Amino acid sequence: MLCDDYKRVVYFFLDGSVSQRRAVELETHRRDCHDCDERTLVHRKLRDFVKKRLAPISAPEHLKVRLVQSLRIAE
Amino acid sequence: MKTAEAYEHEQGWDFEKAAMPYVDSLYNTAYRMTRNSEDAEDLVQETYLKAYKYYDKFEEGTNFKAWLFKIMKNTFINNYRKKKLTPHKIDFSEIEESYERVIQKNAPDLIRDPESEIFQDMMDADVKRALDSLPHDYKMVVLLADIEGFSYKEIAEILDCPVGTVMSRLYRGRKMLERTLLDYARKYGYIRGEAEPAKMRSRKDEVKGRKKKDEKGEETDVQEPEESEEEVLFAEAEDEEFEFEVEEQEEERFEVE
Repeated sequence: MLCDDYKRVVYFFLDGSVSQRRAVELETHRRDCHDCDERTLVHRKLRDFVKKRLAPISAPEHLKVRLVQSLRIAE
Repeated sequence: MKTAEAYEHEQGWDFEKAAMPYVDSLYNTAYRMTRNSEDAEDLVQETYLKAYKYYDKFEEGTNFKAWLFKIMKNTFINNYRKKKLTPHKIDFSEIEESYERVIQKNAPDLIRDPESEIFQDMMDADVKRALDSLPHDYKMVVLLADIEGFSYKEIAEILDCPVGTVMSRLYRGRKMLERTLLDYARKYGYIRGEAEPAKMRSRKDEVKGRKKKDEKGEETDVQEPEESEEEVLFAEAEDEEFEFEVEEQEEERFEVE
């Protein structure tokens, strides 16, 4: 496997969306290739970072009240 | 025998019970889509009322959360079309080119300390800004996949597009987001790396650049500025189909071959 092949699927690899056979190939390449190993770590860290920083915003209570009220009126 | 009124009441109660648990999720995405709480609240309310109205159309046994998100997406597009907002535009070839150099150069810095956050001092606002800098279609798939945790197949259902398109947008969207974050990080000195200025070009610059490319007869990824804004933002984008063969295995799993 070439690094270019690895780069094209690294996100999907991290998603766990590649076939088992493919995952083994990617894992093998990663073990032998320092650059691709680092690349994988960076992608993973960046994704975790984004997820953490974009913490879910809960719906405000007044919206929940309003929704339930409007649904009951709509009935 | 139930009266018609009692039946309707039951259905309403049923809907409320089924739909209210998703209000936080929907609001969160609505907020990221509209970028302000007032519009997000209106969008969620409109979504719930529409979903209630069409509740009998919902197919039992299919994904209710994805169905709600789909209604919200459609509602947003309709409202968006009315407002005719200007979409963000970005040159993909530009991103693609320098991204590899940037990530290669900064990798050791970024992974040195496994316990720390990558850019300790980067503000949440910067991350939000980076996300908002993505074209709408790319922002949506990143949000739905990485924040809401939907599968490719669910996202394809919500956005009414093929799974290959979801993957293609995810690939590009994530890359653009990472690239923008790395640009910010370097600009504010959180990571070292040579000064390679952030090249998120303005729409005007981009159109200029595109014309130049066209004269040389080269192909470009940039969408036609002549297209109407809605088309640019919500285009099915056949040309961006991801080149991997996507193989469906089991129900929810997609395999990249």
